Amino acid sequence: MSNVPDQKRMKQDCENKRECLEILQLILDGEASTEQKNHFLKEHLEECMPCYKNYHLEVAIRELLKTKCTNHAPQDLVDDIRKKIIQNLAR
Amino acid sequence: MEEVIRQQYSEQEKQNIFNQEFMPHINSMYNFAYRLTLDADDAKDLLQDTYLKAYRFIDSFQQGTNAKAWLFRILKNSFINDYRKRSKEPSKVDYQEVETFYNSEDVDRQITPDLRVEALQDMIGDEISNALNSLDVDFRTVIILCDLEGFKYEEMAKILDIPIGTVRSRLHRARNLLKEKLSEYAKSMGYKTT
Ligand SMILES: [Zn+2]
Repeated sequence: MSNVPDQKRMKQDCENKRECLEILQLILDGEASTEQKNHFLKEHLEECMPCYKNYHLEVAIRELLKTKCTNHAPQDLVDDIRKKIIQNLAR
Repeated sequence: MEEVIRQQYSEQEKQNIFNQEFMPHINSMYNFAYRLTLDADDAKDLLQDTYLKAYRFIDSFQQGTNAKAWLFRILKNSFINDYRKRSKEPSKVDYQEVETFYNSEDVDRQITPDLRVEALQDMIGDEISNALNSLDVDFRTVIILCDLEGFKYEEMAKILDIPIGTVRSRLHRARNLLKEKLSEYAKSMGYKTT
């Protein structure tokens, strides 16, 4: 995925959009086989516009989730839990 | 679940496990609790209950196994048993019904919205967080476990007590639903979605 493919020469329609989306999610989830990865990333993505776009969309959503949807535990709560466990240990 | 082998840890060992294996996951665990309950006070209670339970059942935790997955499973079970009933969410549709509905091809075709990366880049506020929170709790859960916490499908299956195939299909639906929400936001922000 290093070089940006020539968009004009790409297919504008994907005949296997649903299957492709599933494989692409497997890849991003780290659950795809080597063959799936090779075929999809090295061949299909270079020639298929909808999948190329989908790939970047999926990546962007994951990044957004990671930056916007993580709340840290309040420090007083963390301290409280530690304290309760120590009391538990003392018993 | 596989059979649980009970350990006999000394007090010192227990303390070490707790500090070195359980406490490092407290932020992830809090976030999970918060995203499940959607309420800061309930999240606090749920997190505290979970850690106390983890400590009480520490002998059924095997050192060297995945502590994070073990903790997440306890939290999710506590949520279902103690919180889900009294949560502020509207009453749930029959679960089986939901799964069947979202597994049909028709729905899948309808909900592949044309969302653009540029629109996402302008979502600098709470849009994504609100979109995630608006999903049904079962769909929300798989996105948290996979996309935020990086659990493998197999680990998710154990945490949720469902087959791997269900993990996969639920994730797929969840992501479609999330995209649908996001494209609603994109539309309201003035982006064209064709
Ligand atoms: Zn394609």
